[in-house]
Amino acid sequence: MAFPIFLSFVLSISNFNGGKIFAGGGWKLTGGQQYIRLFSDPYFWHAFKNNILIVLVSVLGQLPLGLFLAYLIYRKIVRGGDFWQGILYVPAIISVIVIGIMWNLIFSPYGPLSAVINKYYSLTFHAKVSQVVAASVTSDGHLHLTDVLVNKLIALNPSGAAGVFPAPVAGGLKDFLASTSGETIKEIEQDLTNLLAPVWSADFLSNPKTAMIPILFVILWCWTGMYMILFLANMQKIDPQTIESAQIDGAKEKSILVHIILPELSGVIMNAAILCISGSLNSFALIYAMTGGGPARMTQVLSIYMYEKAFMGTPDYPLANAISMMMVLFSLILIILTKKVQKYFEGGSDEI
Amino acid sequence: MKSNYRQEKGIGAALWRFFAYLIMIIFALLAIVPLVWLVISSFKTTVDFQADMLGLPKHFYPLNYPQAWRIGDFGILFGNSVFYTVFSVGIATFLSLLSGFGFSKLARKSSKPIYSLFVLGILLTTQTLMVPIFLQVTQLDTLIGGGLAKIGLCNVNQFHLFYDTKFGVLLVYIGSLLPIGVYLCTEFEKSIPTSLVEAALLDGAGYLQIFIYVFIPMCVPIIVTLGLLNIPTIWNEFALINIMVSKLSLQSLPLGIYKFSGTLASDYGKEFAALVIGLLPMLIFYLIFRKQITKSVASGAIKG
Repeated sequence: MAFPIFLSFVLSISNFNGGKIFAGGGWKLTGGQQYIRLFSDPYFWHAFKNNILIVLVSVLGQLPLGLFLAYLIYRKIVRGGDFWQGILYVPAIISVIVIGIMWNLIFSPYGPLSAVINKYYSLTFHAKVSQVVAASVTSDGHLHLTDVLVNKLIALNPSGAAGVFPAPVAGGLKDFLASTSGETIKEIEQDLTNLLAPVWSADFLSNPKTAMIPILFVILWCWTGMYMILFLANMQKIDPQTIESAQIDGAKEKSILVHIILPELSGVIMNAAILCISGSLNSFALIYAMTGGGPARMTQVLSIYMYEKAFMGTPDYPLANAISMMMVLFSLILIILTKKVQKYFEGGSDEI
Repeated sequence: MKSNYRQEKGIGAALWRFFAYLIMIIFALLAIVPLVWLVISSFKTTVDFQADMLGLPKHFYPLNYPQAWRIGDFGILFGNSVFYTVFSVGIATFLSLLSGFGFSKLARKSSKPIYSLFVLGILLTTQTLMVPIFLQVTQLDTLIGGGLAKIGLCNVNQFHLFYDTKFGVLLVYIGSLLPIGVYLCTEFEKSIPTSLVEAALLDGAGYLQIFIYVFIPMCVPIIVTLGLLNIPTIWNEFALINIMVSKLSLQSLPLGIYKFSGTLASDYGKEFAALVIGLLPMLIFYLIFRKQITKSVASGAIKG
């Protein structure tokens, strides 16, 4: 651990870019210019911002959710705690590569998410179509073909009504309606729905502006169960007699949570927060499998950016090492924070 | 006496319970449905999948599995994954026990800073150091290779001791497992009475004997914890092996599965089968050791 950090630091202030490091590679120290380069690089700041986003989602999402779920199980508000525990932890055990690819498929424009939403869309759309059609059915059970009907049908489709392609659609609709002899009204309705229903496609991951949303969701999905287990295990260490005697004294559920459970867990919550934050530097494989940092580098985090600089295209080791050092610095700040927090809660434990 | 909230009566409590169950069910469905979907889809042909992404397979097509297995060379990768997991977890656990023994029972002046260095490593993840680790590994090869070439033993470019070797991967993996292992072992072994060591010393046992015959049997709980924590870590590891090896014969399962998201992605049936192959071993592992795993995660990750 110590040697790579040292090596990385030396290389980050050098111009080493391939060749030999040891035994006369012909590189020299050049000072802090890599850091100046890094700080003026908008992509670095974007990656950094994404890291911060992940930290926020982890700390403000995973921890409260995990705590809440653990509380529901611990206080036996839901039965079968073991069962829920078992299920909610499953995502944490699976390879993040599998998870990344799986969610990438789910969020893809032609994936199941789009399919689900389109199914709902076409159901509501079908209801609208059948209203229009029902108004045009003649007394002998046939569809009365008029321009009014065609125009009403076109108006149902928002893209058609906007005048993008009304004329060809109108022509096509007339031909289509003329060719439906022999079909029942129900079949015609279904065909019209398929023909005219708007198609929605999930473009979260391909849209640079929204691509981080699925990633943050998946991170939340992955680890909430782990924190739940953690909190639950520590809740079970609380002496049940404390809670029972509080109840005898007439304490309400809310005050049990606020005055007994939360104070008992404060140390654990703080430590979990630190874990959360340091874990945010660990999102490499998941994002690599989900988006590879794209589209347009908008989902890059520091580790992905570093990987890109070092291993894709022409290597830029000095910059990659500078990024690595920034990540180390980030971790060191956390370690100092842990120490302070531990001192605060435990009155000066000398560990770490 | 009300021992818990379940017995409370009234419409407010009933609503609250309903809400609690709703939340639980939503979370449980979120955790399980995507995986069930994955398994169902793995039995569809690609055409079937594109026609209907959500329903059950029209034609049950289990052939996706042998095909994905063959295309992905999963035979080799599976073996490698087993190899890396068994040896790195085994060796790392042994070394952790050993250093835990040292740190907890043989305290010297130097042990505290070294111990701090290990504990630092828990927060300093190996992903942070991907680039320097890669450079270190390749540079050591060039250095040693260069030395050997000077005395005419090999060609510089062919020498690989660390990069692209199982040895190198194991070394890095063991290194990455040591911080948490050393920390947990030291904490655990502190609770073993020092008088036991002293008594054994008086009886004339050496430190190695004490370690093997007295300590290891007492450390079974922590050995199990470390195993359960570390096996999934190594089995699922991707970032390091991705930079440490280039040859197929050395890759592990996650690398093989990742390939299905690239050039092979258009063949959905096989891609899903590959994903299921990827998640199944750990799922089975989890189902068998569920209780112990959740317990060791809780005790391992954080001490209250």
